[in-house]
Amino acid sequence: MSEAVAVDSKFSPIRKGLLEFLVLKIVSGTTVYVPDILKRLAGTEFATQEGTLYPLLSRLRREGLVDYQWQESESGPPRKYYRLTPTGKTHLLALDEYWALINATVSSLGS
Amino acid sequence: MQKVITVSLNGIAYQLDENAYAQLHAYLDAAARALAANPDSSEIVADLEQAIAEKCTRFLSPHKNVVKAAEIEQVLREMGPVDGEDAASGGSATGNDAAAGAGSSAADEGIPGATGDPGAAGPRTPGDSGTGGGAAASDRAAGVAPSGRRLYQISEGAILSGVCTGLAAYFAIDVIIVRAIFVALLFLTGGIALLGYVILMFIVPYASTSEEHAAARGLPFNARILVEGAKQKYAQFRQGAEWQGTRAEWRSEWRRMRAEWRAQRRRLRNEWRANSRFGSRPGGVAPPGAAVPITAGRYAAHVIGGSVIAVLSLVFALISIAWLFVLLSLLTTGAVLGFALPFGVPLWVTILILVLLYQLIAWPIGSMRRAAYYSMGGYHPGWVEAWNGIFAVALAVGVIWYGYHHVPELRAFFDHLTRWWHEATGTGSGAFT
Repeated sequence: MSEAVAVDSKFSPIRKGLLEFLVLKIVSGTTVYVPDILKRLAGTEFATQEGTLYPLLSRLRREGLVDYQWQESESGPPRKYYRLTPTGKTHLLALDEYWALINATVSSLGS
Repeated sequence: MQKVITVSLNGIAYQLDENAYAQLHAYLDAAARALAANPDSSEIVADLEQAIAEKCTRFLSPHKNVVKAAEIEQVLREMGPVDGEDAASGGSATGNDAAAGAGSSAADEGIPGATGDPGAAGPRTPGDSGTGGGAAASDRAAGVAPSGRRLYQISEGAILSGVCTGLAAYFAIDVIIVRAIFVALLFLTGGIALLGYVILMFIVPYASTSEEHAAARGLPFNARILVEGAKQKYAQFRQGAEWQGTRAEWRSEWRRMRAEWRAQRRRLRNEWRANSRFGSRPGGVAPPGAAVPITAGRYAAHVIGGSVIAVLSLVFALISIAWLFVLLSLLTTGAVLGFALPFGVPLWVTILILVLLYQLIAWPIGSMRRAAYYSMGGYHPGWVEAWNGIFAVALAVGVIWYGYHHVPELRAFFDHLTRWWHEATGTGSGAFT
């Protein structure tokens, strides 16, 4: 059990770093609402919370990788729906490639 | 029974009970602080507000319209601590080092990693059921509003300017001790301590609002405590008044107190308007009695205002001395700095002209000083005064230019003045220096 904790904490910076990649992946499909993103991530190793996701999305928007549009909702105020920008698409492709590279390295090493 | 506070979360009104309000306020406060360096902080806070609002709706029904403390606690736990994401990791546009960059900034609770093992309650493993990190977050949120102690001048009970009273409040010691130390220093340093006092006098802002008074003493400021205090005072006072039964006195005292309260309220309102991030954004949480933190920026503005006042005061003093010198030379020699009066101009007209000239010069400086003073905590819009000053300078320049080109006497006077200036500086015995 303690081993699980150790592994978990060893990878926590990696998880944190990968979150951006995963959010970009989720946003790349259709336009999504933040609770949808959270739902997609919930139950995975990357489960996260609004307190982390909103600042992250804000930064991605500042970097021009995502943007959002307002959509009316039947219950409550209009909501922000995020989607990938063309810049974000190329960036995501690069990330995908790099991720494949890392994967290949990881699996090629060791026995 | 619980008091209910209505807040507006991103434009929709919600009713919270008192404790829930305190928690929410603390959370948003902590969020704003975590995002202080973020250029989009207000937008993110608005997003968070909306997310909180949406989560709150599930606790509300036609038969229940107040969000309870336990419910808001759960909501905030789900929200998770707001990630400051320092701007340094924002430069990860190249992608390759994105993971490393963001990872290194993940020193604090970033992702609550939901481990597959439910027993592994690691330091950062609150999944949706949220226990560890969430609780820590609410702990952190609950422990906010450590209103930092700041040095202010306090005019109440001051002898000179309030530096000693302010220092006494700052160090939480009796003002007598501070004064004794100051007097001792005065003797020991041969008067240099007075210079220190004067510098502090100009640089340290005055505590003008109750909030600043509280900060001067390092007490947590809370408007509700203030109101309670006032109420208590009023109750005591009424009791006393009934005993004494002197109606006229009672009434005048009551009027005085009411005016005081009103002024207090006005001050607080202005404070909120000027400084509250809530107030500046429509649809924010309207704080019905919450402390607005005295930001470092505002304190710095006060200090800068104080320095500007010091410089302007120096300039003002120099001009005053120069003017006095001119007046003295006029009275003793019958001429302005050796320049004989034009034929037929009586002395009193010259003095009048001098006074007007002085006014013309002193006005803009006075305006600027006032502007700086207001920026330190006055409640007039400083730029109005600043504009007055600019206008006055323009006017003075215009008048002098016109006089120089169209009034021969004035031109002669200026020519003489420049000559005199060259002589004075040339011989090294400048009268002004």
